Amino acid sequence: MSRFSPFNAVALTFGFAFLYLPIMLLVVYSFNENDLVTVWTGFSFKWYGEMFANRGFRDAAWVTIRVALISSTVATVLGMMAAVTLVRAKVFFGRTLFTGMVYTPLVMPEVITGISLLLFFVNFDINRGMETLIIAHITFTMAFATVVISSRLIDFDMSLEEAARDLGCSRFEAFMRVTLPNIAPAVAAAWFLSLALSLDDVVVSQFVNGPGSTTLPIKVLSSVRLGVSPEINALSATLIGLVTSAVIIATIIQKTRAVRES
Amino acid sequence: MTQQDTLISPAPTTGFSPWAEPDREPLVQFRNVTKRFGSFVAVDNVSLNIYQREFFALLGPSGCGKTTLMRMLAGFETPTSGEIIVDGKNIVDVAPDKRPINMMFQSYALFPHMSVEQNVAFGLHRAGGAAKSEIADRTQRMLKLVQLDAFAKRKPGQLSGGQKQRVALARALARSPKILLLDEPLAALDKKLREQTQFELMNIQEELGLTFLIVTHDQQEAMTVSSRIGVMRAGQLQQIGTPGEVYEYPQTGFVADFIGDTSLFDIEVQGREGDYTLAKWKGADSPVYLRSVDDSPVSEAAKVFSVRPEKVTVSREKPTGEPNVFAGKVVDIAYSGSQSVYHVELAPGVVIKALDTNRLRLVSSTITWNDQVWVSWRARSGVVLGS
Amino acid sequence: MMSAVRGLTRRLPILIPFFWLLVFFLTPFFIVLQISFAEFQYGQPPYVPNFRKVEGVGDFFNQLQMMTLYSYEILLSDNLYWKAFLSSLRIAAVATFFALLIGYPLAYAMSRAPRSWQPILLMAVILPFWTSYLIRIYAWKAILQKNGFLNNVLMELSVITEPLTLLSTPFAVYLGIIYTYLPFMVLPVYSSLEKIDPSYNEAARDLGASGLTAFWRVTVPLSLPGVIAGCFLVFIPAMGEWVIPDLLGGSGTLMIGKQLATELFNNNDWPVAAAVAVCMIMVLIVPIVIFQRAQESDQRRRQEEG
Repeated sequence: MSRFSPFNAVALTFGFAFLYLPIMLLVVYSFNENDLVTVWTGFSFKWYGEMFANRGFRDAAWVTIRVALISSTVATVLGMMAAVTLVRAKVFFGRTLFTGMVYTPLVMPEVITGISLLLFFVNFDINRGMETLIIAHITFTMAFATVVISSRLIDFDMSLEEAARDLGCSRFEAFMRVTLPNIAPAVAAAWFLSLALSLDDVVVSQFVNGPGSTTLPIKVLSSVRLGVSPEINALSATLIGLVTSAVIIATIIQKTRAVRES
Repeated sequence: MTQQDTLISPAPTTGFSPWAEPDREPLVQFRNVTKRFGSFVAVDNVSLNIYQREFFALLGPSGCGKTTLMRMLAGFETPTSGEIIVDGKNIVDVAPDKRPINMMFQSYALFPHMSVEQNVAFGLHRAGGAAKSEIADRTQRMLKLVQLDAFAKRKPGQLSGGQKQRVALARALARSPKILLLDEPLAALDKKLREQTQFELMNIQEELGLTFLIVTHDQQEAMTVSSRIGVMRAGQLQQIGTPGEVYEYPQTGFVADFIGDTSLFDIEVQGREGDYTLAKWKGADSPVYLRSVDDSPVSEAAKVFSVRPEKVTVSREKPTGEPNVFAGKVVDIAYSGSQSVYHVELAPGVVIKALDTNRLRLVSSTITWNDQVWVSWRARSGVVLGS
Repeated sequence: MMSAVRGLTRRLPILIPFFWLLVFFLTPFFIVLQISFAEFQYGQPPYVPNFRKVEGVGDFFNQLQMMTLYSYEILLSDNLYWKAFLSSLRIAAVATFFALLIGYPLAYAMSRAPRSWQPILLMAVILPFWTSYLIRIYAWKAILQKNGFLNNVLMELSVITEPLTLLSTPFAVYLGIIYTYLPFMVLPVYSSLEKIDPSYNEAARDLGASGLTAFWRVTVPLSLPGVIAGCFLVFIPAMGEWVIPDLLGGSGTLMIGKQLATELFNNNDWPVAAAVAVCMIMVLIVPIVIFQRAQESDQRRRQEEG
């Protein structure tokens, strides 16, 4: 099939219109000069200026970025270990428990994860702040990292690692020299996903953050509650722009890599 | 396992037969090796000796345990019980990277992120102690050996199946292993290339004076390349012998049927007539005549009689001079160019296969479907089996 | 000794994530359970700590007696919680249904699109997932409010004369959930549709099935694993939504996740919030276990094929 059938064309048009129109409206109106968000009066960068001047946003963004960088890196390492275990070790004591713990956060409503961690920290007199935020983000993003890496590991030809062993590598060496380079794209994808989830998280963060560790989504949530504001529009458009270009760049890198290999 | 009743004549031996020398120390000894996966017995109490410079083939259908047996020698599986002795040392607890054994994987397992050269040099770097120039030197020599020196900088993804196979061979040979294991090495190649590569493998094995152990389900391949064949079925070694021995003197119905083509018949021994043993069978009212190689009587315990198609002659006129002559009707002809196999029905449900080489063009062949024909074979051509 | 150390290092890849999850994922649930049995108090923390330090067997029983079912009694006696639970179930189920209704044709059209288009379409579905969840909900707020885009457009077109109340309605909550979770439906459905060998469909047509019959009898059954995964991925998190009803729903739209957050942040009644969480887990454990079983068997199948 080399062309779109009429039904498919309609389904795609409607589906993607539904997905993209709200976001596009938001971006367009972020350049609206008017204080009233929905009434277009003229093109302006005014709200972008206000947004960048906002100290609260800048501080929150900095917290968010630090938390995301640390937690996504740790989550990727832990997720890689968990993925190796789940894919390779067919039977071990506590496997069911382990599998359950790895996959449950994928679907567990975030309010439950949030309240559990909050009560856990309070119960053990752990002061809430950056550290608790990082721990919480590692715990729920790790599940996603595990899934991404293990889906690549399943397709990984185990005989490659065996060949490395056969040619004189220790277990660890074989993993580092042969397995890791081959699953690297999945590891990178897992890291990006964890990073995005951490940057974006609002529910779990709302539960476990403390004074001085307000993240950008928490800040946005509290101002969105009060209503629609042009400054938030500008912020949203900026974030959308950043994410979109990051995803597009990543895709292009992957594409050129794939082209070069073949 | 059942014993063959017809006495085996000394097998046709080439000059090389270390297994026949009682004082010879085997290079590899499997001693009562058993491997279970849960309740499944993959390898069932196998004992096997492999000698230096042998090209030994493990042959059997998929799932028979041949690959597991090989993987235990490579170190990727640990026997549930039994010992594996290499060069006088039990290696069961030795890690795969510490064994003087290398393997060529069925999938070739070439590292996709490394060039051909890097793949071949990989094991040399792990060996330790070797200087960079030495490694480069040896890598070059290995690539020359498999005629791939022009492809040194390529990635495995840019090679054809046959080239990949040769890189895998060079990589496994680079560390000068005492034993090279080949897991279905040619399964991914097409027929022409496979046949050509079989000879290349034999030449390299002879040239380097190494011991090869090959696992294959292709009986043709096993017969061509190996000095001896071990036929496996359901985790057990059914028979060990030279290609000639396992073909001409199969010890079980399975071996007779799995290697080459054959017709099997149930028989019941009735008595003797001169050098011949007579047996009742369903192929005709008259008995079938059996004769062992040394004219000794055939045991009463014989239950199955096997005769290979190329030993059976088919003709329109009744032949004379042979005791085993039976009438039948042609029900099927499998024409494959160089030869035809006639399926001749002797009695309802009893069919014998007879092979005829097509020395003349097909047009002149006179035997066709539904023709009444005669089949005959020499009494010594058949093999009698216990079950 | 040496082999014990080696055995330990070999097991590190299992032990580290295992202990992490044990401490930060499993233990917190037990803390929640424990606090749900604690008594409310004014102060910090807002509950009477129980099982702090157990000193001897007598003390253990003493502490056991301090446990109270008071929070659960509140949940049972005040029908607000019942209603919130049932309303969450209904909202999640209806939203899942509509996500499937919109998502399946989209996924199907993607899987039938020209090969060269598919990576782009796939990226287009994933992209909104990467953009902030909060922003996507916020976008709808701007569209649905009294003087929002939708009302403005409808008024311009003279479809309506008075602006409609769209925000703070159950409709807005449904819309928000469907919109937010649509990619979670489309992706698994697409991936199972895309794996179906087109020759199955051709074989069905060859054997006399009409296009519709072939779709219904061959394509749909083969895509069921993706549909099931998608439904769970939408239903379970939707059931516990807090931000969407908080931003788009009104006071009339009850959802249990929102109720939990209210108890915790506004009423400061931690034991009741914990009890709500315990009940949510009990309700969700069944679909979660089913989902995991399906994932596990799917993974095993892939492993055997590969």
